[in-house]
Amino acid sequence: MILGRISYAFREMWASFKRNITLTAAAILTSAVSLLLVGTTFLIQRAFDNLLVQWRGDVEMIVFVRADATESQVDNIESALKDQPTVIDGEKLKYLNQKQSFDEAKKIFAGDPNTLSLLTEETIPSQFKVVPITKDPELVRSLAEQFQTLPGVESVALAEDQFRVIAKLSSFVRTVTIGMSLVLLAVAVGLIWNTIRTAMFARRREIEVMKLVGATNWFIRVPFMLEGLLQGLIGAVVSCGGLWGLNRAWTNGVASFKPGTGISALVVPSGYVSGVMVILIALGAIAGAVGSGIAASRFLDV
Amino acid sequence: MIRLESVTKEYAQETVAVRDASFEVQKGEFVFLVGPSGSGKSTLLRLMNRQESPERGEVWVAGRNINEMPDSKVPYLRRTLGNVFQDYKLLPNKTVFENVAFALEVIGKPKHLIAQQVPAVLELVGLEDKTDRFPHQLSGGEQQRVSIARAFVNRPLILLADEPTGNLDPSTGEGIMRLLERINQTGTTIVMATHDHRIVNMLRKRVIQLDRGVIVRDQERGVYE
Repeated sequence: MILGRISYAFREMWASFKRNITLTAAAILTSAVSLLLVGTTFLIQRAFDNLLVQWRGDVEMIVFVRADATESQVDNIESALKDQPTVIDGEKLKYLNQKQSFDEAKKIFAGDPNTLSLLTEETIPSQFKVVPITKDPELVRSLAEQFQTLPGVESVALAEDQFRVIAKLSSFVRTVTIGMSLVLLAVAVGLIWNTIRTAMFARRREIEVMKLVGATNWFIRVPFMLEGLLQGLIGAVVSCGGLWGLNRAWTNGVASFKPGTGISALVVPSGYVSGVMVILIALGAIAGAVGSGIAASRFLDV
Repeated sequence: MIRLESVTKEYAQETVAVRDASFEVQKGEFVFLVGPSGSGKSTLLRLMNRQESPERGEVWVAGRNINEMPDSKVPYLRRTLGNVFQDYKLLPNKTVFENVAFALEVIGKPKHLIAQQVPAVLELVGLEDKTDRFPHQLSGGEQQRVSIARAFVNRPLILLADEPTGNLDPSTGEGIMRLLERINQTGTTIVMATHDHRIVNMLRKRVIQLDRGVIVRDQERGVYE
């Protein structure tokens, strides 16, 4: 009996799917495009993240500590930093040991395996991330020069102006792409909703008879919901293909830059891309099922 | 089997479809609802299978107050009711057999039961040799027989018929009435709305007469007047 119902639901879903092929294609394409945009948003954010990971959280200065520095040298640097309460925010001062620094480097050099291969957990410098409390960049700059000469310090890096520009650009791009993908996702749900409404209208006589002979609402609804879910799912698979192609072209493009220009950080690791694809497929399936479920419930009051 | 207690149904503000209607139908009875178009016959039928809900009063079917029933239980109420309509409501892309089987299929009846019950009911209505025809290949009377077969295939307690002879010529209509009588004799309660004088006068069943939503007569073995 259960099996009979399942096969009924799939048979009905497939018949209706084929009947409204043009509307179905429109719904699938729209969900594919919107999901592709969602996926691209994720990838762009991740790429910017790689670029900005060192400077996240208002960090303006990084003190790199030599790999062979002694523990007392490290302690010295830390107390020297905390000794500047008018310039440095002691609360936000953060120390990344060699292992943490190496994890960070993996992100920064994601698209530059040559540089990454030169680094190990043993040879990489550890680092202090410094958040300034003063608004005067000159104060920070002069402090950086002082620290350069401290024993155990390898180098001091300052957040350059271009990083600030990139950070701004990143948040702008994020706002725009998230906004656009939300709108497109809403359009996709609307189109799926409309396809299901049309499918239900085409079969209103059948639905009327079903209700009169005592079919439950779920029995009537499930094939339509499956249809919407399938549309969302196909759209998601198409968008995953698009995302894969896009990322491949991007990675190849970035690889042709000279290593060490910083652009290489914009490459997104393939594990992350797969993760995004899983999210897209889940989003597509949910959008399809929700859109059609709402439509099915709305038009079931015969 | 069916009991209405002071039932009032209004559409919009002005139009009262049924006003303060009370009557009871016993198990196995055959009742005609008569009156001109717009007198509230169809509304009464629609109140009995909860296609409509009354503004005031109670509708009891098979021992339950169906207006207090949650929506999720309504499908199970309807499985105890059969519905026959003036326009048959057959599905044009399904054969006679499939139209009848559909009613069992969508309430989850197993295949072997469908294979048993559908031919039996098609034989009862006299269509055993037209099972593979489509509705448009049948006469009006034959289409109505299919619709009755579909309403009766699940052996409902009650059959609600709304002008079942309304689109048929007199002799075909008589055939449909003989079929309904036969179904009534199996113990099925039948409530039939009609304004067909001849049929009401011929069968001499209980007659409930409506006039602008009000019951003006409830008579055993009545005629149309």
